[in-house]
Amino acid sequence: MSNSKIWFVTGASQGLGLALVQHLLQAGHRVAATSRHPAALVELLGPASKAFLPLHMDLSSEVSVQEAIEQTINTFGRLDVVVNNAGYGIGGSVEELTDAETRQSFEVNVFGVLRVIRHALPHMRAAHAGHIINISSIAALAGTAGWSVYSATKAAVSAMSEGLAQDVASFGIRVTAVEPGGFRTNFLTPESLVFAAQPLAAYQTVRDTHARYLALNGSQAGDPAKAAVAIEQLAAEPTPPVHLLLGQDAFRRATQQLQGRLQETETWKTVTVSTDFAQ
Amino acid sequence: MTSQQNKNIWFVTGASKGLGLTLVQHLLARGYAVAATSRNLTELQQNVPPSEGRFLPLHMDLGNEASVREAIEQTVKTFGRLDVVVNNAGYGQVGALEELSDEEAHRNFDVNVFGLLHVLRHATPHLRQQGAGRVFNISSVGGFMGDFPGWGIYCATKFAVAGLTESYAAEVREFGVQASVVYPGYFRTDFLTAGSLGTPRQPLAAYQAVRDSQQQHEQQINGNQPGDPEKAAAVLRELSEAPEQPVHVFLGEDAYQMADYKIAAVQQQMQQWKHLAAATNLSVEA
Repeated sequence: MSNSKIWFVTGASQGLGLALVQHLLQAGHRVAATSRHPAALVELLGPASKAFLPLHMDLSSEVSVQEAIEQTINTFGRLDVVVNNAGYGIGGSVEELTDAETRQSFEVNVFGVLRVIRHALPHMRAAHAGHIINISSIAALAGTAGWSVYSATKAAVSAMSEGLAQDVASFGIRVTAVEPGGFRTNFLTPESLVFAAQPLAAYQTVRDTHARYLALNGSQAGDPAKAAVAIEQLAAEPTPPVHLLLGQDAFRRATQQLQGRLQETETWKTVTVSTDFAQ
Repeated sequence: MTSQQNKNIWFVTGASKGLGLTLVQHLLARGYAVAATSRNLTELQQNVPPSEGRFLPLHMDLGNEASVREAIEQTVKTFGRLDVVVNNAGYGQVGALEELSDEEAHRNFDVNVFGLLHVLRHATPHLRQQGAGRVFNISSVGGFMGDFPGWGIYCATKFAVAGLTESYAAEVREFGVQASVVYPGYFRTDFLTAGSLGTPRQPLAAYQAVRDSQQQHEQQINGNQPGDPEKAAAVLRELSEAPEQPVHVFLGEDAYQMADYKIAAVQQQMQQWKHLAAATNLSVEA
């Protein structure tokens, strides 16, 4: 099948990653899927087959990432699409979250993505083809109270996707940051979400925001199966975008945010342009 | 009460050179009290002459949380309070994502992101207790627009600063604290000079676009930046005394142009791909 691609999907044992792998396998693609819990991959997606390679991978270990990618190449011969999907939400004010809590989220959401990119790129450059899809979040564009560190990790992912897209364009490699809104996954459940271990009573607004988000769990408008279709379609595009929002809520929030930003930029233009040296 | 006692107490990181140094000099010349930090206390003291007890030069290692806490405590002990925090310390890192090692990427985040978070974590309790305070986190126009070849990690650190500042501003507003992310364009400092700018230890020959970008920044842009650090300092001082400071502050005509371009480009891309963005909701159940 000419449209069949080799995919590498991280964080595939749950959520968007799981929905994506299920869809891709059904659609006739070959998929290497990684998780810290490979038994869960087999349980949910079936045993390894000609089309499916379940892999244990620890994103925080560069060696583990390198091995997973090499095994994918050894098995399928190449790597067409990498989906950096693994990541988790972290809630808490800047003041409440400790250095260790903050770093842990960056270790997975940012440095883990960088490790995959670092080891996938030599293969893609050699093939002069490939598409790196980084799952960011609408939070990268629009920060809200109580999610500062999460926003920071996702803004970092969107930023490096922009730079990377330029770095590797001449090698025939495409890069897209996907920025989803709320999807009906287990993202907002206590098993997935991490909160500041030492909350401060003063931050009631942050607690209220978190309660509002948790109450949304189970009623998010986004359908993970449709996100999977959209991502497959994205990878089939000859000229994919650098940013792709997913979900009407994401589209709405991004529109509002950009309009607000444009307005703020104009309001403060006189200050902004006042700082250059006299010509 | 003398007018001096009404003046804000400032805390500025990365103050031994660049924008930080200019800001400290600007503030001291206008009678403010300033705590200024650097890893290099001697350089800091050499560059800023003593100012009648209004200048507190502090050795601070941003990579060490205890060191950050001590610097802030010493500031509060010396001046009695803390009104304006300027997270200015940071450095540029060039290199393609594939070239930069895990260690090189971490080091840039250690200073530009985790160090800044140390300062916020230990300054915020004082600002909240006072029920007042101003925070300026110095990002970069590269914290808003990321399509600079070879600047992926640096832009990631500066986007992170922008992302966390937006949320931080929303977190602390009810305590009377205002926070801004500042996106300077190119300012004439030593940011782009060797010794300040990080370059990859193991460059790959294939990345010609990255080498070109690096060379362009080091040899053509360096020394010709349009931005005047003195004027940037004046803007920060004025904003700190305005009743409302904006959450996003772009500095420089170039930063304005790039922000304008980026917003328009994203809006255009959003429209072009709306069919995919809007196709993923669950069907409405009857």
